[in-house]
Amino acid sequence: MLAFLVQRISQAFLVMFVISVIAFAIQDGLGDPLQEMVGMSVSEEEREAIREELGLNDPMVVQYLRFAGNALQGDLGNSYFYSKPTLEVIAEHLPATLELVIGASLIIVFLSVPIGVYAAIRPQAWLSKFFMGVSTVGISIPVFLTAIVLIQLFSIGVTVNWFPSDTGWGQWMNDFFTTEGGLPSYGRGDELTDLFGTWESGFFTGTGLMHLVLPSVSLASIMLPLFIRLIRAEMMEVLQSDYIRYARAKGLSAGRINFLHALKNTMLPVITVGGVQIGIMVAYTILTETVFQWPGVGLMFLEAITRSDIPLIVAYLMVVGLIFVVTNTLVDLIYGLVNPTVKLTGKKA
Amino acid sequence: MALLEVKNLDVRFAVRGGDLTALRGISFSLDKGERLGLVGESGAGKSVAAFSILNLIAQPGYIAGGQILFEGKDLAAMSERELRKIRGNRIAMIFQDPMMTLNPVLTIGTQMVEAILAHRNISKKEARAIALDRLQKVQIPSPEKRLDQYPHELSGGMRQRVIIAIALLLDPEIIIADEPTTALDVTIQAEIMDLLLNLCEQENVALMLITHDLGVVSQVTQRMLVMYSGRIIEQGPTREIINDAQHPYTQGLINALPQMGEPGERLFQIPGSMPSLKNVPKGCPFHPRCKFATEQCKQAMPEYVRSGNVNVACYEVANLIEQEKRMQEAES
Amino acid sequence: MTTATVSRWDRFRESFFWYSFKRDKVAIASFAVLLLMVLAAVFAPLLAPADPYDLAQINIMNSELPPVGMSGADPAFPLGTDAQGRDLLSTILYGTRVSLMIGFGAVILQAFLGILFGLLAGYLGGKVDAVLMRIADVQLSFSTLMVAIIVGAVFKASFGNLMFGEIAIYMLIFIIGVAEWPQIARTVRASVLAEKKKEYVDAAKVMGFGTRRIMFRHILPNTLSPIFVIATVQIANAIISEAALSFLGLGMPETQPSLGSLIKSGFDYIQSGSWWITLIPGLVLVVLVLVINLLGDWLRDVMNPRLYKG
Repeated sequence: MLAFLVQRISQAFLVMFVISVIAFAIQDGLGDPLQEMVGMSVSEEEREAIREELGLNDPMVVQYLRFAGNALQGDLGNSYFYSKPTLEVIAEHLPATLELVIGASLIIVFLSVPIGVYAAIRPQAWLSKFFMGVSTVGISIPVFLTAIVLIQLFSIGVTVNWFPSDTGWGQWMNDFFTTEGGLPSYGRGDELTDLFGTWESGFFTGTGLMHLVLPSVSLASIMLPLFIRLIRAEMMEVLQSDYIRYARAKGLSAGRINFLHALKNTMLPVITVGGVQIGIMVAYTILTETVFQWPGVGLMFLEAITRSDIPLIVAYLMVVGLIFVVTNTLVDLIYGLVNPTVKLTGKKA
Repeated sequence: MALLEVKNLDVRFAVRGGDLTALRGISFSLDKGERLGLVGESGAGKSVAAFSILNLIAQPGYIAGGQILFEGKDLAAMSERELRKIRGNRIAMIFQDPMMTLNPVLTIGTQMVEAILAHRNISKKEARAIALDRLQKVQIPSPEKRLDQYPHELSGGMRQRVIIAIALLLDPEIIIADEPTTALDVTIQAEIMDLLLNLCEQENVALMLITHDLGVVSQVTQRMLVMYSGRIIEQGPTREIINDAQHPYTQGLINALPQMGEPGERLFQIPGSMPSLKNVPKGCPFHPRCKFATEQCKQAMPEYVRSGNVNVACYEVANLIEQEKRMQEAES
Repeated sequence: MTTATVSRWDRFRESFFWYSFKRDKVAIASFAVLLLMVLAAVFAPLLAPADPYDLAQINIMNSELPPVGMSGADPAFPLGTDAQGRDLLSTILYGTRVSLMIGFGAVILQAFLGILFGLLAGYLGGKVDAVLMRIADVQLSFSTLMVAIIVGAVFKASFGNLMFGEIAIYMLIFIIGVAEWPQIARTVRASVLAEKKKEYVDAAKVMGFGTRRIMFRHILPNTLSPIFVIATVQIANAIISEAALSFLGLGMPETQPSLGSLIKSGFDYIQSGSWWITLIPGLVLVVLVLVINLLGDWLRDVMNPRLYKG
């Protein structure tokens, strides 16, 4: 167990190192601290002097070490736009993104498992075929488009009068497809609860939750089809295995066979894939936050790009890199704990 | 009344383009405490026959006709719910490969206790005690430890012992063992077989042993039946069949066993191979490979005739019996 | 009359590939739709009723007209117009063209990189393999979309908005190609590792062939079939990635929009009721990606005959 932990943590450090080098390269290549600090009217000589003073003419390695040293102490420079430490800016924006991700994850977990399992147990049922069909289409719709469609349907509302409104059934069909709209599609709303100082939460107020609905559903919509298909495929394979047949031969109930014997084996590869999806989820939050103007780190990053706020861009990359590395290590750890055939040195039995 | 009576069992596979018949007219019986062997080549239908008793044939197989009478009740007509009460409880099964049969992510203990709790209303502790007792019966060292271990932590032989222990958990009337030693190392095959045999004798459990190994059949079983292409072609006391097989196919099987003979003597092989399910010939399925085949054999499946205590389905055998009868009548 | 030479066309018609295609209605329908869209995009200049980028042809008085079927529509603009008065049908035709070019271009690039690196990693092994696969792992764990966004952001910041806009199409091909090579590289590497063990490689070595020749002329052809399946799906992914990048402002500029940037510019007008400006390009994008995915699914089933459905 210890050996496994050490191995994973040292790998994590290595990856962080690479990320920090890349981030530093970006900063060095694009950023010019002078641009923020002094105006246009400062002479060239004075600029040179300031550069010298700031150590900007030192060799690359020295500058990198300075960068890394500062980073480890929590100093990743100041944002050009906000004129505040970048980490502070990130800390302010992070809770919004985290709540969005939590909302989406809950939707994914609570929908994909039942639907996936059902589609695996009863593949011929029309409901299963319906879900699988929707999933195939779902994979083809980019997340921002789903968001836009959801906004049109549930925020703006859609009036349908394709069907003949002078017939009973026609009007019923019209009414069925007409939506009221009304769900908020911009930002997080006004009523947010303060949790321990810096975290403004939307989970505890009515409007907060209402604002969370469309963005979370949009974010979930792109990963949901993937998980449904994955769970169904894995489970169908598992259900063909000998040990399932043997469990039936022992006279166990269908519930126990499906939800213990089969599901536990199914979820193992799902955990692995799920871990990888976290990376994709971060990219999708950027897209979702853009559509809904959700004030999270994704939107912050995009605005930083538009404003050429290099320190903030670099800080974002470092933080995101750290989150990736930590999450991936945790996922590996969880997998190692859950799968009994994996000895925790990282090798399979 | 026999403990288990299979009457005219038909099993088919539903595939595109029509159904394939895997078993046709299978009839046999099993008495309490009796040991019956099912012998045949791969693909003859022995495993299908074994699985069909508890209606566990893999998709797209299904029971198309016949009866499976267990203590008078027809298993083939039972609902899944009622069958579940019998599976693992009154009739237990042992599969071929213990590594594939035990769920890799659950402990041995879990897999044993759940089998008990599915059929008895007792506490987990009591169930665990029963499990321990059976593990001791199959002579597994340190059984306490095993309960908390996972299947991959045990050797192949030990896993099969566990499977046998699971089969005995609820004191079943019948154990159906599908090639229980084939997947094991040759060195422990005999050990496991002995264990199974002794336990069945001790507990007076009927055993249905499916195997392609005639040697094992001759040592373990009291009666045997030989299957070919989904049909039983010979059935009777093991001793009689082994010593004096009637059906040409059975004779071929026995001749094919390596014997001590002259150096340089070739091993005997039945020419040709068993037809696949799609290409079953009309009439007796063995006739393309049989040196006694006549026109009659190509027309229809022969009826069973009795030779001694053995039932055989073969025209040639029937003719020989006729001849002998006539000769005897002529003499008297 | 003729001798028994069988032409390539005849062999194709007899092949399992064609047979399976003929039987799968979904595949046929998808292919038909795709062909239609590709042809429409290729011949866009001929088919479009107007050139949407010719400023002389645009009249602001025509702005935000709805598509035919709704009140206020003008039959000259069958799918409606955008906020500047541009004909939507024309912009969509040109936009599809851009999206397809980037999609195919990016996949060609990533296939080239992926095959090259996969071959090197698999065949040479050792340090080369370790380094390449590490990079691939990091890229994959960040997700290719994230990598594309980061690279796009860096390029945009270094080149500046204007210049980036001018060479955007090549930039995007480069960005997406570079972001997505790991997938193909991994597959190729796995194939190479499997093939390396086979006897024909030893035979080639014994005959004295050099490393490069063995890699490219002997091993490569055997690793290509899974690549075709992946490449098809990757085209769809590339189109979506490009759309996402454009939507974020890191992709095609408004002067040469792809479907993604059309959606982006149209989004601003959805609240005022002009949903068609954003949703019709969106629909076209979805259909395009969907048919490519369906074809990819069919291709995968054809190449993998072990999987029977149902």
